[in-house]
Amino acid sequence: MNLAQQLINGIVLGHAYALIAIGWTVLLGVARLVNFGHGQMYMLGAFVTWYTVSRLGLPYLVAVPAAMLAGVAVGYVMQRVMLQLTLKQDLVSIMIVTLGFGYVLNGAAALVFGSTGQILETPLSRLDIYWGDLWLTWQDVALVVAAIVFFIVLKYVIDHTAVGRTARMVAEDPPLALLAGINVKKVYLGVFAFEGAAVALAAALVAPRTPILTSMGFDEVIVTFVVVVLGGIGSVLGSYFAGLALGLFTAFFGALVSPAYTTAAAFLVMIAMLVLRPGGFAAAPGSR
Amino acid sequence: MAPALRLALIVAIAAAGLFAPALLGGTGAVYSAAVLIAIFAVMAYGLDMIVSDLGEVSLAHTVFFAIGAYAAAMLATRLGLGPVATLLGAIILAVVAAAILGVVTLRLKEFVFSLVTYAVAVVAMTVAANWEFLGGSDGLRGIPPFTLAPLGLRAETDAQLWPVAYGLLLVTLYLMHAFRRSRLGQAAVMVHLNPRLATMSGIDPKRTRLQIFLLSAPVTAAAGWLYAYQRSFVSADLLETYFLILMLTSVVLVGRRLLLGPLIGVALVQIQEKFFSFGGYVDKIVLGSVLVVVLAFLPGGLVGLGRSLVALGRRRGESVAGSMPDVRTVKD
Amino acid sequence: MIPMLETRDLAAVYGGNRALAIPHLAVAAGELVGVVGANGAGKSTLVNSLLGWSRGRPRISGEVTLAGEALSHLPSFERVRKGLLLIPEGKLVFATMSVEDNLLAVGGQLLGDRRRAYALDDIYDLFPGLKERRGHLGAQLSGGERQMLGIARALRLGPRALLLDEPSIGLAPRLVATVLATVKQLAADGLAVLLVEQNVRAAIEVVDRLVLIERGSIVAQGPAGAMRDDPRIAEAYLGAHAT
Repeated sequence: MNLAQQLINGIVLGHAYALIAIGWTVLLGVARLVNFGHGQMYMLGAFVTWYTVSRLGLPYLVAVPAAMLAGVAVGYVMQRVMLQLTLKQDLVSIMIVTLGFGYVLNGAAALVFGSTGQILETPLSRLDIYWGDLWLTWQDVALVVAAIVFFIVLKYVIDHTAVGRTARMVAEDPPLALLAGINVKKVYLGVFAFEGAAVALAAALVAPRTPILTSMGFDEVIVTFVVVVLGGIGSVLGSYFAGLALGLFTAFFGALVSPAYTTAAAFLVMIAMLVLRPGGFAAAPGSR
Repeated sequence: MAPALRLALIVAIAAAGLFAPALLGGTGAVYSAAVLIAIFAVMAYGLDMIVSDLGEVSLAHTVFFAIGAYAAAMLATRLGLGPVATLLGAIILAVVAAAILGVVTLRLKEFVFSLVTYAVAVVAMTVAANWEFLGGSDGLRGIPPFTLAPLGLRAETDAQLWPVAYGLLLVTLYLMHAFRRSRLGQAAVMVHLNPRLATMSGIDPKRTRLQIFLLSAPVTAAAGWLYAYQRSFVSADLLETYFLILMLTSVVLVGRRLLLGPLIGVALVQIQEKFFSFGGYVDKIVLGSVLVVVLAFLPGGLVGLGRSLVALGRRRGESVAGSMPDVRTVKD
Repeated sequence: MIPMLETRDLAAVYGGNRALAIPHLAVAAGELVGVVGANGAGKSTLVNSLLGWSRGRPRISGEVTLAGEALSHLPSFERVRKGLLLIPEGKLVFATMSVEDNLLAVGGQLLGDRRRAYALDDIYDLFPGLKERRGHLGAQLSGGERQMLGIARALRLGPRALLLDEPSIGLAPRLVATVLATVKQLAADGLAVLLVEQNVRAAIEVVDRLVLIERGSIVAQGPAGAMRDDPRIAEAYLGAHAT
């Protein structure tokens, strides 16, 4: 095993994971909501990107915002449908509803895009970088840079802007936020739209690394759970480091032990954490 | 109605049910749909106990379903055991798995409980698809037909398997009925609706949860056990989202805590998929949408919808009387 | 005199039980009206219902107008933006946010036609204590400071009418006086103020008018001076023994 190469793989993978999970992190941390359709939204983002580039022949830089727009639309519709459940904070029903939405997206995508695998090629994914015997693509570099920029901007927005403060108020105490003149429903809709955009961005950047299938999304949702739980529910910085840690773990576990069981191993770690600290969720900001 | 008469009526209906597929044409397709409805209904009843009575959502019930199926397949193909022995094996394995999962998740509630159970289902799927011992991604093939020599039963077709599936369904229905009238069933509802009151009445909520988990897992596993014989092969696809979504939809579609609810729910979904299918992908959209719509807009299921329509009609009739503001009678 | 805040036939029903029935109540601009009554009489329900707001799920009906504009069809947050501000009882600050974030989060961007919305500096002039603690989290504040922060946050939104629910609860007597003096000053500046108070002895010193509520209904009301001698007030709340 080439240690340095695994380190690079781990870092790239880690940023991919952090980016895939960030929508959920904000969803849970800011609005105390969950989305089990997250993986299918990732799939949709990847296919919209692929369709825009390969079928419509538009540039990759157009495809990325197109995918994000689709993500916004799906997120908005989902939240619109389950707004009453959200206002009641009926998390269990929300979980099942989002699971159902994911299933619908899966069927719809297969109907539209077909069930055969596709390769999402971008101008950057074909440009390799060799450095001694180490290898990565410019797509990987773009992914890492985009993830870092995204996290910095997001952290700034949440901590220092009116939008961020509004979201934090809703997270902590929705009824009290109403008394501060905040349209709580709009915030919920906005947060879900953001989740859709974020996961679509992640898909547009990460999906070129592997073949894409309409049945995918399972791995992404697992990754997201692990990152969100390890990072401390709802913490943006925590998610970043948890993503990075999981990426490195995956790279080295895959190289040293077995690539087939990496997700299972990561998930067992997460289950152990949840079981040992069941208060983890309750202690999240935004819980009351 | 006198209890004896009532009992006689129920027995008559139950007996008549056995001939339902024959009356509906008796074709292979009808028998095969009937067998699947019975099997999937049993599968859903296991989850129904957790969702409707205990008020939690387990996403790990596909695991129990798969355990039942894999147990039947392994014991039948590798050890050559008959259905009775494989059923016993399926139940024991499911109880052991439920005990482990139940103890581990004893302190978890609501969302976190569901998240962990989902995680378990995902891990189980990875394991089933990769572990050669379980047949890996190919699964296990060549499960012999369901044979009960003493009864002269050898089920090569769904029509021959139907009495077995129907019998399993009746046993499950009786079990559900008895469970809801039992002390455990009452305790579950109390833990669900008012945990504090339950504790004060001497009920241990954790113990109750664990007991119900242990009771529900073998029910779902029994469905998996028979499904293995029906399909004659098992593979990791048993852990796919389809079965989870089917279970959840069936449990919530008609209404909670109704004895026949999950059966009718499964039947509606299966009839649509078998006889009014729009193709696999659209069927997925239909099933997922039904689940979403029921949970988001019809918390009482179809029965609840019917009830509120009736109530609405009634309220309209007396709206004049109801709208009199008695607020005015208050003296300033 | 046109009332700034007025309500007719205000009613709240919790699961079939009527908790509130107020045929009419009005507060003029510059007027400080006290609402008193026993525990559970419906005082909090009254102020919450004016906003159509609650942590429970009551059914609320009736008309509410602010400066002649009907608000009853608006959701709570819209009523807030129109200038009807409630400082609720109990949890009234965002505990996970700093004092300054509590104040910055509202105001400015929300206001359209605006009345007088207090700038951050005005707030700090009015409440120097908050300025000192601007970097602290809401959770770290004392009871009195939370009350001040609650009022300050309301001022940031440019209130026309202010509803205060038990601002003196749990405060030391010296702080009660400070809070009530602040409230009186705000009314004198032209706000319509409805003050729910259990501490009748302290409230009666500052209010212009007193409303007594029992079992969800107004049973007596009048100028503070006259109400002081009302036997229902004197015996039950002031502890006067046949003076």
